[in-house]
Amino acid sequence: MWQQVELALRQSAESVLVKLARFFPGLIALLLAVVVLTAIGAGLAALLRRSLTAARFDERLAHNVIAPISDWSPANSPTALIARVAFWGCFLLGCFIGISAFDAAYPGDSPISTIIIPYLTHSIGAVLLLIAGTVIARFLERSVLISAVNAKLQYARVLSLGVKWLVLVLTAAMVLDHLQIGGAVVELAFGILFGGIVLTLALAVGLGSRDIVSRSLERSASLDPMPGDPDYKSSIPPENLRHF
Amino acid sequence: MATTETNVDLTSTSAVGTSGLLISLPPLSQEAFDATLSNLALAFPGETVLVATPDAAPQSSSGSPLRLLPYTVTAVSTTPWVPTAADYLNSYKLAQENRATACVLLGAEAQSLHPESIRALAKSTVQCDLTVAHYDLGPREGLVTSAILYPVTRALFSTRPRFPLAIDIGLSIRMAERLATVAQRFTAAGQNDALLWPLNEAATANYTVAEVNIGSRTFAQPISADVNALLAQITASLFADIDAKAAFWQRARGTQPYQPVSFTTPVTEPPDIGPMLDAFRLAYTNLHDIWSLVLPPNSLLGLKKLSLMQPENFRMPDNLWARIVYDFTLAFRLRTINRGHLLGALTPLYLAWVASHLTLISSGTAPEKHIQDLAIAFEADKPYLVSRWRWPDRFNP
Repeated sequence: MWQQVELALRQSAESVLVKLARFFPGLIALLLAVVVLTAIGAGLAALLRRSLTAARFDERLAHNVIAPISDWSPANSPTALIARVAFWGCFLLGCFIGISAFDAAYPGDSPISTIIIPYLTHSIGAVLLLIAGTVIARFLERSVLISAVNAKLQYARVLSLGVKWLVLVLTAAMVLDHLQIGGAVVELAFGILFGGIVLTLALAVGLGSRDIVSRSLERSASLDPMPGDPDYKSSIPPENLRHF
Repeated sequence: MATTETNVDLTSTSAVGTSGLLISLPPLSQEAFDATLSNLALAFPGETVLVATPDAAPQSSSGSPLRLLPYTVTAVSTTPWVPTAADYLNSYKLAQENRATACVLLGAEAQSLHPESIRALAKSTVQCDLTVAHYDLGPREGLVTSAILYPVTRALFSTRPRFPLAIDIGLSIRMAERLATVAQRFTAAGQNDALLWPLNEAATANYTVAEVNIGSRTFAQPISADVNALLAQITASLFADIDAKAAFWQRARGTQPYQPVSFTTPVTEPPDIGPMLDAFRLAYTNLHDIWSLVLPPNSLLGLKKLSLMQPENFRMPDNLWARIVYDFTLAFRLRTINRGHLLGALTPLYLAWVASHLTLISSGTAPEKHIQDLAIAFEADKPYLVSRWRWPDRFNP
């Protein structure tokens, strides 16, 4: 019996070692590709930055173009934008080459090739989704907050936080869906959450908070218009206060 | 640095020398057009003047010494209340085609200009590269100009004229060409309504600048009454121009010689600043996080004190407002936050300044004195902007 146990252990150990022996070259190839391409990207970015700065690229562009690339660039510098694009382009290229090398290290029918590689690709997509969702949520939060404050809405903060969390919840649901985590549960929970919010609002306006909402609307209607409102000028004679 | 002449003699009746002068009119109704032509005829008696008018405008009666030049606009502006890139480009093309040596651009509601004013404007135009109108406004008018445009332009570009965005201006042919070159870049990008800053251009080119007192006139108001959008449009244009000309204004030193300003105090009834203060306090509660990305702690402390003030004592110190505008200018350049958000966050602060200004003038201070004091505060704080512009990383809020 102990011989069988020993045999089983030896076989499993050999199997694991064989898998590790196959795994490590692929992993090292992936890391090597990423590191080398990142180093190349850094060098290329530095070279571009120096040469474009020497050629006064920013100044020439500013003189010749009216809607410049600098609108999209960090620190208002097209040179910095180009250098960063070159760097991140090389980094992404390194990622793709590394994943391909990792993939090539296994036969096509192995579990790693059929499961992990596609999942790795999905993970990168999920990370990009998460970043985009977070950025959009913050942008919308500030947009709503500033617009609501300028429109003199007392609940501006609540409104902006609501928008932010709606986008974040949507992003989280998309990321989990992309990672195939939770399956139908995530979709169901997300549907219930959004449907619940809409239903709550509908009920608040239609039934439960009818009086509160009507009082709130009456109060809003009776408030003095803000300078940003279309009615502002009509309430203050134009000859009395003119901003322009 | 541009040189400024002011106080052009309006009473002189000597010939202006209009042989090479082109007067460009905005689109006008029949009645307004007739009134404008009458004023022009009175302004230039017995002199032949080229008057350019969009081809949609009606024609004058025969026998007039005014030579009308109907033209088709090459770039159409949809912002009639202020001259835009399209207007400057059209005027230069007309001046070039008709071999004019100078041109006068009259803004909307040109029929309300007095003949003496038009004559003074024309007389200065043939002598200087840029002539800017000076208007007599009420204490509660032109507040954006008083709060931001005038003090910033004066401090950074060392120019004296009170109305950087005047709608009646005179241009020498080389000034018109310079503005048309800038305008061409905007119109080529489809931005016909872009605002140009003639004073900044003249200062950068070291052209001569004059200011002519026009007196009072009727102003066309923006079609949209949305203060937020208009303030964002104007300040974005000014901040972008400041960014583009940073190499010049960082070197510019000194100011133009002091010009006597009438500090008469009109009797004004106490203003209703309640809505503006409410807007500011609401913004202080909600936008503090955004302001803290842009403003240094001292300014935030000043705003905190301001938010606690009673309406009757509400007073924003001039140096605080100067710092706020400079820090927003810098944040616009550095893209500390999205530019739309940045300019939106400026609106409540501007309303606070307006409330403070109105409170001050209702207490007996002459409005113009306050504006001049404010401009001096901007000039005094210019080294702060220059320092932070050059080394923005020395301090991060």
